[in-house]
Amino acid sequence: MSRIRARYGAGPGHLLLLLASFVIAGAAIVGWFQRPNDLESVLVWFVAAVLLHDLVLLPLYSLLDRLTISRLPPRSIAYVRVPAIVSGLLLLVLFPTILGFGAHAELRASGIPEHGYLLRWLVLSGVLFAISGLAYALARARRAH
Amino acid sequence: MRLPLPDPNKPPPGPFRPEFWRSPLRSSQLTAMLGLVLLVGLPVVAITGLLSNDAYQPGLGGNALGRQINGPLDVYLFGWPSGPRWLYALTQGAHVTLGLALFPVVLAKLWSVIPRLFEWPPIRSPAHALERLSLALLVGSTLFEFVTGILNIQYWYAFKFDFPQAHYYGAWVFIGALAAHIPLKLPTLQRSLRVRREVLEGAGPLASPTAQRADPHSLSSPRPAAVTLSRRGLLTAVAGASGILLLQGVGQSAGGWARSLAFLLPRGRTRPGPLGFPVNKTWVSSGLRRVLVGDRWRLTVRGDRTLVLSRQQLLALPQHTYELPIACVEGWSTTQRWTGVRVSDLAALAGVAGPAILTSVSLETGTYGQATLGHQQVANPQTLLALEVNGHDLPLDHGYPARIISPAVPGVHCTKWVSELRFEAVRT
Repeated sequence: MSRIRARYGAGPGHLLLLLASFVIAGAAIVGWFQRPNDLESVLVWFVAAVLLHDLVLLPLYSLLDRLTISRLPPRSIAYVRVPAIVSGLLLLVLFPTILGFGAHAELRASGIPEHGYLLRWLVLSGVLFAISGLAYALARARRAH
Repeated sequence: MRLPLPDPNKPPPGPFRPEFWRSPLRSSQLTAMLGLVLLVGLPVVAITGLLSNDAYQPGLGGNALGRQINGPLDVYLFGWPSGPRWLYALTQGAHVTLGLALFPVVLAKLWSVIPRLFEWPPIRSPAHALERLSLALLVGSTLFEFVTGILNIQYWYAFKFDFPQAHYYGAWVFIGALAAHIPLKLPTLQRSLRVRREVLEGAGPLASPTAQRADPHSLSSPRPAAVTLSRRGLLTAVAGASGILLLQGVGQSAGGWARSLAFLLPRGRTRPGPLGFPVNKTWVSSGLRRVLVGDRWRLTVRGDRTLVLSRQQLLALPQHTYELPIACVEGWSTTQRWTGVRVSDLAALAGVAGPAILTSVSLETGTYGQATLGHQQVANPQTLLALEVNGHDLPLDHGYPARIISPAVPGVHCTKWVSELRFEAVRT
C-alpha cells in the first residue's frame, strides 16, 4: 500500500475514483460516436470551450479591467467594477439575443420579430451604473462628514 | 524509476510564478464559498437534465430521434408519469433557470482558481497528472454543457452537431468528472470554510505562518495588489448577475405580469389576445399549404380497426376542457384552457381496450413530425386531441385542425396539425 502511495502519489481510492470518471467519459465519447459526422465538431467545441475561456476570455477581461477601471481613483473603482461585472456577465450569457444572432430563427419559430434587446440591455446597464453612482455619492458624502 | 521532474523551485517567468497573480481577492476561502454554491446547484441542474431525457420517453416509437438507447449511459430514472400536469414545466424550468443563474458562479469559480492552471511543476506525480486530466474534463464538460444549453435557448444554433445527443452525453462526462472532483476536494472545501478569518472584507495571504502551513497550495497572492474591491463587492456583482438571469428563467415560466420579468430572453414571448400565447413553430415555418387543413382534412385513427373522421365528426364526440401547460425543453411554459376529444375515447372507438401507446403523426414532416406517448399518458383522461383553445377554434399557429395536449409531456410531443393517430396495445 505504501509502495502504491510512493509511486503513484496518492492512495488507491484516488486512482479508482479518477479511473471511474475516465470510463464514464469514454462511454460518453462512444455515445457521441453514434453520429460520426458530429463527433469532430463536438470535440472541437469541447476543447475550444476550455481554451477560449482560460487563454482568451479570462486574460481579455483582466486586461480590459487593468487598462480602464483599474486606472480610476482607487475609492471609485469598486463602484464602477460591480455594475461592469453584472452588465458584462449579462452580455456574455445573452449576446445571441442582445445582438440579434437568433433573430431569423426566432421569427420563424414564434412569429414575433426580435428587436429591442440591445436597447433593453443598455438601459439595464445604465440603471445599474446609476445606482452604483448614487451609492458612491452617498459614501463620499458620509466620508466628508 | 523516478520521473524526471523539473525543478519545482524554478518556475519559468510569467503566470507560472505565484507572484504573477496579484488580485487580493483570490483565496481558498473565496473558492470554497463559490464551490459550495455549485456543490448544491449543479447536481440539481444535472438531475433535472436527466429527468428531461426521461420525459422524452426515448424508448417509445421514434422519440429517440435516431439515437441508440441501449448503451451504458442511456439510463432512465423512472418511467415518465402523466402528472402532476406541471411536472415537466417545473423540472425543465428549474433546469434552465438554475443553469442560467449558476453560470456567473461557474465563471467566478474558474477565475478564482486560474493560478492553478499554471502551477509549477506542471506534474508532481502520476496521481497529480490524472487529477489534472480529470479537471480538464470537468472544466471542459461544464463549459460545453453551459454554452450549448445557453445558445440553444436563444435560438442561435451556431453548432453543427445534434443538440440533444451532444448535450446528453456531454452531461455524462460532467457527471463523471464532478463525482470524482467532489470527494477529492471536499476536505479542502471543509478546511477552507472552517478558517473563519476575514473572508468577505479581508484580502491578501492568511496572516499567521501556521495558517500558511495549513494551506500550502493557497490561492492567496503572495504579492497582493491594493484592495480596490472587497470580496463582498465581488460576490454582490456575481449574485446580481445570477439574480437577473434567475428572473429571466422564472419569467419564461410565469403567466400574467410576471412574464415580463423575462425581458432579456426571446423564448416564450406572447402576443396580445386570448390566442397570443407563445408558439415555437409557426404555421408559416411549417411550410404547409392551406388546402391540407381545409374541409378535406380528415383524421385517420388506427387501432384494431381504422376510422376516418372529419372535424365535424370529432366535434360531435364528447368534448372535455382542461387547463394544461405547454412546457418546452427551452425552459418556458404557458398554461391554457384546451377543449377536445379524450384520446382514450378515440382508442376505444378504434377498438383498443387495454393499455396502449399512441403515435401522433403531423401533416408536417420535420424532426418532430411525429411523437409517441406512453400508455400512462393515453390512459390519462386529460390527454386530449384538442380542437379549441380558450373558447376559440385552434389558430393555425397552434395546430388547427387538431393537436395533441397531454399533462407533463415535453411541448414537442404535443403534435400539431395532426393527420393520424396510431394506437398500439402494450403489456405493462
